[in-house]
Amino acid sequence: MKLQLTPKPGETLADQLFEAGVEFPCGGETACGGCKIRVLSGDVPVTPMMREALTAEELTAGWRLACCADSAAAVMVEVEQWSLRILSDEAGVPIEPREGLGVVVDLGTTTVVAQLVDLSSGEVLAVETALNPQARFGADVMTRIQHDLHRPGELTTVIRHALDAMIHRMAAGRVLQEVLLAGNTAMHHLFCGLSVEPLSRVPFESPNLGACLMTVQDLGWRSAVRGHVFFLPCLGGFVGSDLLTGIVATGLDLQDEPHALFDIGTNGEIVVGSRHRIQCASTAAGPAFEGGRISCGMRAGHGAIDSVDHELNVHVIGGGPARGLCGSGLVDAVAAGLIGDFILPAGRIAHSSRRFPLTDNVYLTQADIRELQLAKGAMASGLRMLAPGPVAVLWLAGAFGNYIRLGSARAIGLLPEDLVVEPVGNTALRGARMLLLAPSQRLERLRWICAMAEHVELAADPQFQDIYAESMALRPFELR
Amino acid sequence: MPDLQKLYDAVLNGDQKTSVAITREALDAGTDPMVLITNYMVPAMDEVGRLFECEDYFVPELLLSARAMKGSLELIRPLLAARGDEPVGRVVIGTVKGDLHDIGKNLVGSMLEGGGFEVIDLGADVSAERFIEAVQTKNANIVCLSALLTVTMPSMRTTIEAMKAAGVRDKVKIMVGGAPVTSQFAEEIGADGYSDNASSAVALARRLRAEATA
Repeated sequence: MKLQLTPKPGETLADQLFEAGVEFPCGGETACGGCKIRVLSGDVPVTPMMREALTAEELTAGWRLACCADSAAAVMVEVEQWSLRILSDEAGVPIEPREGLGVVVDLGTTTVVAQLVDLSSGEVLAVETALNPQARFGADVMTRIQHDLHRPGELTTVIRHALDAMIHRMAAGRVLQEVLLAGNTAMHHLFCGLSVEPLSRVPFESPNLGACLMTVQDLGWRSAVRGHVFFLPCLGGFVGSDLLTGIVATGLDLQDEPHALFDIGTNGEIVVGSRHRIQCASTAAGPAFEGGRISCGMRAGHGAIDSVDHELNVHVIGGGPARGLCGSGLVDAVAAGLIGDFILPAGRIAHSSRRFPLTDNVYLTQADIRELQLAKGAMASGLRMLAPGPVAVLWLAGAFGNYIRLGSARAIGLLPEDLVVEPVGNTALRGARMLLLAPSQRLERLRWICAMAEHVELAADPQFQDIYAESMALRPFELR
Repeated sequence: MPDLQKLYDAVLNGDQKTSVAITREALDAGTDPMVLITNYMVPAMDEVGRLFECEDYFVPELLLSARAMKGSLELIRPLLAARGDEPVGRVVIGTVKGDLHDIGKNLVGSMLEGGGFEVIDLGADVSAERFIEAVQTKNANIVCLSALLTVTMPSMRTTIEAMKAAGVRDKVKIMVGGAPVTSQFAEEIGADGYSDNASSAVALARRLRAEATA
């Protein structure tokens, strides 16, 4: 399929491609060549990484790597991943070719991504991305829930309307067989029009976690869908179907040995399990990893420091002067600060100025480091509590997982030293697409995972406070 | 007779083993338990609070110091009770109904204990009825309400309303705190005071006690 992209301030072309659901299998670390795109019009400069991964013929033919792509002007690209069938043996969900079109949606708190899929080939024919229009009523799920309690139905109306518009544009008059949606529990309840009241108080367990089947008539949509609009079931607490489809995409529920799936974000989510048992939890990590509540913090876009080496040389996205630093830059900077003894393992900045300068105008304050300690402590303590024993592989989902440097994440004690860590991209959308393409196995797989998945309320564990406090230290740790 | 400066250092450095050992030695040697609290532990926790406010200390250090102090207090408290000594004040503290987060509340409780208050900790997800019962049975003079979620802040208001209805509101001073709470909100719901961190909560509690006993 063809994807038309125009430069957006503060975003690289790679960011836009990732948001559209292009997966970077190696996270841009090893030139694996798994995220090939072909430039049909416009110009995407060749980087050393692309030269390493692609042949001269491929480069001449316009092939580039999505993970390090950037462009100064509008481009039209073709995404190789979306023309290929999903590997059935690897995923454990074979494609059952059938006639027609379907749509999968990753309904996030911040962004919404929808893909139009050819059900006979598995090919992605079109993609739409948008900011979640609910965001103007509050950035995080708690403020959304509060808004819905005060003004019931308003958020339901705006998200249903926005999604209908996106799907209507992609379908371009064609009738869809079905639409599958994945999202966290709050997004599920707000889209389906369920009461969010149970999510506003202890024990944060809603009685309505199940899958929700709706028709276009129920939703008041103008898009034509023959079957259902199917919101996939939640796993418990705030852990929703985005993690459920993450389990499907990684095949965590089919493994003999325990594996872990990490989604690092404002609402961090953790799954640990195998085919014998699955435990999941969510943790309020705060916005530090997205550059939020950090003095010089910004999203990963033009002008953001996205990496810092041990000699404190900084890399700025798009070149030019640094305007701030993003999540991966923050983790790198603190790791470098620890090596140079500018920052102590307890988090204190050694210099009496209580500032850690990176460039003339970008620096970290003591409060910034405390914010990172809270965020990374929340993620690390969650993992320690769910996985007291060995874990074969830790999969890192989402955008942050693709940009973070593992060495730095380990040095500050965000990720354990003794685990193999693999970035896996947007598993929420990929898992939903896999379920869309395997209709006969879908319900069985969902039942299997939902029956096994146990939601753990971390804060209810009497040990939580001690493990959390211990996990705030900026030093490497092992799960063992 | 042990060097009591070491008790101060142990609390300040969060070294529970040493703080308990020195306390035991001092008590065995016949030191007045009130002297240990007033001259060493309270000043140490005041210093911990100061270091927290100037960002030298963070949550882990605060928790360790609190643990060291608690270890010593466990030895001292029975002796004070036997003598009939009155604490600076009696505080009932809890995270309000609907909210499970209690790290912030625990920090405030520890700092108040370090400030010489007797602290009755009701835990998290505490109903208005349990606050009322504790005020009635424990002869408390201060009630501290904590909430970490915007959605559980209304529970602070309902708790205060219930205390009014039960006729215990005016027996106590009410302090509120927690990440989403503001001094404006505290005023709106009729609390007597608001603090945005564990250290200044001690100063606030002392001020409220002074006002009440003046």
